[in-house]
Parts: sequence; C-alpha cells; structure tokens
Amino acid sequence: MKTWLCCCGAHWTSSGVMSEDANPAATPSPCQDIQGDGRWMSLHNRFVSDSKGKEPDVLFVGDSLVQLLHEFEVWRKLFSPLHALNFGVGGDATQHVLWRLVNGELDHISPKVVVLWVGTNNHGHTPEQICGGIMAIINVIHQKLPHAHTLVLGLLPRGKSPNPLRERNASVNALVQAEVASLSHVSFLDMDPGFILSDGSIAHQDMYDYLHLTPQAYQKVCQPLHERIKSLLDKHAP
Amino acid sequence: MCALSMNSIFLLTVELLNFHSLQSDLVNHCCSFPLRQHVRSLVVLCLCCRLRMSAEENPAAEPAPVIDVQGDGRWMSQHNRFVQECKDAEPDVLFVGDSMVQLMQQYEVWRELFSPLHALNFGVGGDTTCNVLWRLQNGELDNIRPRVVVLWVGTNNHEHTADQVAGGILAIVQLLLSRLPKCKIIVLGLLPRGEFPNPLREKNAAVNNLLRTSLPQLGPVQLIDVGGGFVHSDGTISSRDMFDFLHLTASAYRTISTSLHELLLQLLEETPQERRASLV
Repeated sequence: MKTWLCCCGAHWTSSGVMSEDANPAATPSPCQDIQGDGRWMSLHNRFVSDSKGKEPDVLFVGDSLVQLLHEFEVWRKLFSPLHALNFGVGGDATQHVLWRLVNGELDHISPKVVVLWVGTNNHGHTPEQICGGIMAIINVIHQKLPHAHTLVLGLLPRGKSPNPLRERNASVNALVQAEVASLSHVSFLDMDPGFILSDGSIAHQDMYDYLHLTPQAYQKVCQPLHERIKSLLDKHAP
Repeated sequence: MCALSMNSIFLLTVELLNFHSLQSDLVNHCCSFPLRQHVRSLVVLCLCCRLRMSAEENPAAEPAPVIDVQGDGRWMSQHNRFVQECKDAEPDVLFVGDSMVQLMQQYEVWRELFSPLHALNFGVGGDTTCNVLWRLQNGELDNIRPRVVVLWVGTNNHEHTADQVAGGILAIVQLLLSRLPKCKIIVLGLLPRGEFPNPLREKNAAVNNLLRTSLPQLGPVQLIDVGGGFVHSDGTISSRDMFDFLHLTASAYRTISTSLHELLLQLLEETPQERRASLV
C-alpha cells in the first residue's frame, strides 16, 4: 500500500488512514479492560446508542477534560443550549478516540461542529506522533461527516511546575496548528487563558490536581470556546 | 507468634467478649482502665494478624508513594500541598482517600455542607491504600487535630484481594487512631462500579463485609455504606449516578452527602463529657 509522509511525521494511505506500523498514536485501539468492570466499552456503547436517538448540532469528543466538562454547571449553561453531546472518556489517548469514532460513535449523527480535545494522555508518544494521531481523528471525522467543521482544542499545560509534559503539549499544539492552517474544514483554538503564573507554577484553584480543571477554570476556558462554536454554527447556517 | 496461634487467640477473645457481652461501652464501664487497654490492645493485635494489617504479610498495608511515570510530578505536588495545608489550617474534619474524595470538593455540595464544618480534603485520584498510608505517615497528619476523619479508599487496589484491601484500610485506621487519639473515624464503604454486575462489585462488597464488624472493634470507628440505591433492579448502574460507572455525578454526591453530613454533625456535637467517656 502506498503511503505518504506528511510534515508532522505521519504516514498516510490512500484511504486516509494512518499506516499501522508508523504511528501508535494513530492506530485505532480500544482500551483493554484490565480492571475488570468493562467501563470503557460501556461508555463507548452508550455513546453509540445515544447517537441513534439524538440530533446534536455540536459533538464534543476527547478525554477527561471533555468528560468532566459535562458534570459542571458550565455545560448546562453554555453547551446544552447549543444541542451538544459529550463523548469524552477519561484516560483516552488519540488512538482510543480514533477507535471509538471509527466504530460507531459518528454513525448516526450529523453535528455541524465537532470539538476535539485529546492528546494529553498520549504518554510515551512524541509530539509528532500525537499530532499524527490528532490528524488521523480529523481525517476520520471528515470522512464520516463531510459537512462538519472540526474545532481542535489546544492541549493545556500541566503539572505544578515546569516539566517535560508542558513542553510536549506545547509542541503538539504548534504542530497541529500548522497542519490545520491549510484546511478549511478545521480550525484550532488555544484553550490556555494564562494558567501558568509568573513563577512558572499552575494554581490548584485552576487545576485541582495540576491536570484537571476546577469549575472556575472551566468557566475561564469555556467562554471563548462557546463564542467560537457559536460563530461556527452561524457560518454553518443556511 | 505464628499467624495460626494469633488467629486462635483472636477467635478466643471474640468469644470471650461476646460471652460476657463486653461491647465497647460495657468494657469501658465495667473494666478498670488498664484492663480495658489490655483487652482492646489484644483485640487490635489479633485483628492485625487475622486481617493481615502488617506490611510484611499484606502488600495493601505497605506504605508506598506513587512513582512519577508520566513526568509532571503531580502526585508529589498534591502531597506537598496537603502537608503545607496542615501547617496553615485547623480542620475539625479531615477527608482522606482517592478520587471519590477528591472529586467531591469540586462540586457545590462541598461548599454547602462540608466547608462550614472546617473540613480539609486530602483526596488524590488513583490512590490505593498503600498511597494513602504513605501520605499520612509522611506529613499529612502533622500539626492537625481533626475531631473526625472520613476515610474513603480501596476501589483502586486492583492488585489486591478483598482480604488484603480490608487489611490495608484497617492499617490506615490504626495509624489514624494512634496519631489522633481523640479522633472519631468514619470509613465509607466501597461503592459498586461498572455498568453491569462484574467481579469488582463483588470484591468491593466483600471488602465492606470484612470491615463492617472489624472496624468498630478498633475504637470509635464505623463503616458507613453509602452504596445502597446505586444498583437498579436490573443490575445496572446509571450514568446519571456515575458518569463513567465509577465516579459520582453532582446529584449522586448530594444523595450520599446528606446522611454523611448528618453523622458528622452528630459526631462533632458530642459534648466533651461524651467524648471523654468514649475514649479508651
């Protein structure tokens, strides 16, 4: 099978799917049930059946940063009114989200905007690989929902003090931003309102465990997100 | 002393206590203080051995920090923050455990019901009994004298059997009692998890059963099972209660918090006389 190498190091085939050997972050993979209660598959199945009954205009998909958003007041206030569905799963890396979208979560819905927030859990992957994973997801969304606009959210800094994961996430953001610049059906939104303080630290009032957002931090990041989604929906309107 | 003989002593002691109807309060009223101490120490010792609370026999009772494999040191950052909070705060109530504890603080119910009780929250997502034990031994009990500790941990002990998990929880309780002699302890039962019946539900229920009778024998400690009502008649758990079939939604936290809050009020309101009488 012929593959093309793109500038973020990802290999593409003619069907648009990442070649399996090249990038683990872009190889659709379900989460294995090691704990024994099958929760990941339960969530996936629920999302698939949810998608049969509902007609969302906006779909949020990603990891725990997406999932937790649904549990706070900000969801009800800002995103429910936009007819949004939330397909976030805690712990998911790009390859897990990719598997879920390839295996049914996009099959019965036609949202106008897909909000994608994933990548921070891709431990062991390089920024190039993570970017490749995100691009693979964008590609699948475009294949299944050719009329949808994908809004990719930038990865947030993490950890109380400067550390390699902050650098990794920043690199991913730069790579993704460059990749999507030329694509009309995708845009990138930087979600960091300035979480890193002047001494390089992140406050627990914003990230209670230096990774997950508090309700007050969600308020900060969701205002611009809400505005951007609304403007995309307006553009989409006939 | 080998484990077998300790087991026999334990069984004998329990029989003795039952035969003479020596419940905690009767032990307090009828026995002289030194004898009471010896009896209680003996029971504790037996429980330790029987439920493998010692680190040598029980990996779930071995204190261990979380190793930073991801690379951003978040676990240690959280621990250090809690140690610092101990220097600054004077909590009446301390919540300690895993994400079930941690997440509670992010919902409105914490601000409404528990902050007013001067509660501190030392929950860390992913923690096992080993991790909580390590944290408490390494600074998170220094300089504070909470009157009640709420302990909620055990559901993340994936490598351990129900016996071992119960032993780990007992080890934590023992540590709390030794470091905070005037404190009362509430242990929250492990919740069922997973959308459908599965081995982890059985394991968590087994842990709760082991704790139910053994906890009160250690002192002013009780098990509160807040899991009733989450499993529906068809065996499923709803995502309206557990958004990922493990972690609680805001409304589920509200449901369990009502009775917990009542109990805390009761325990905090006990007069100094009542408190003195309940001490061993």
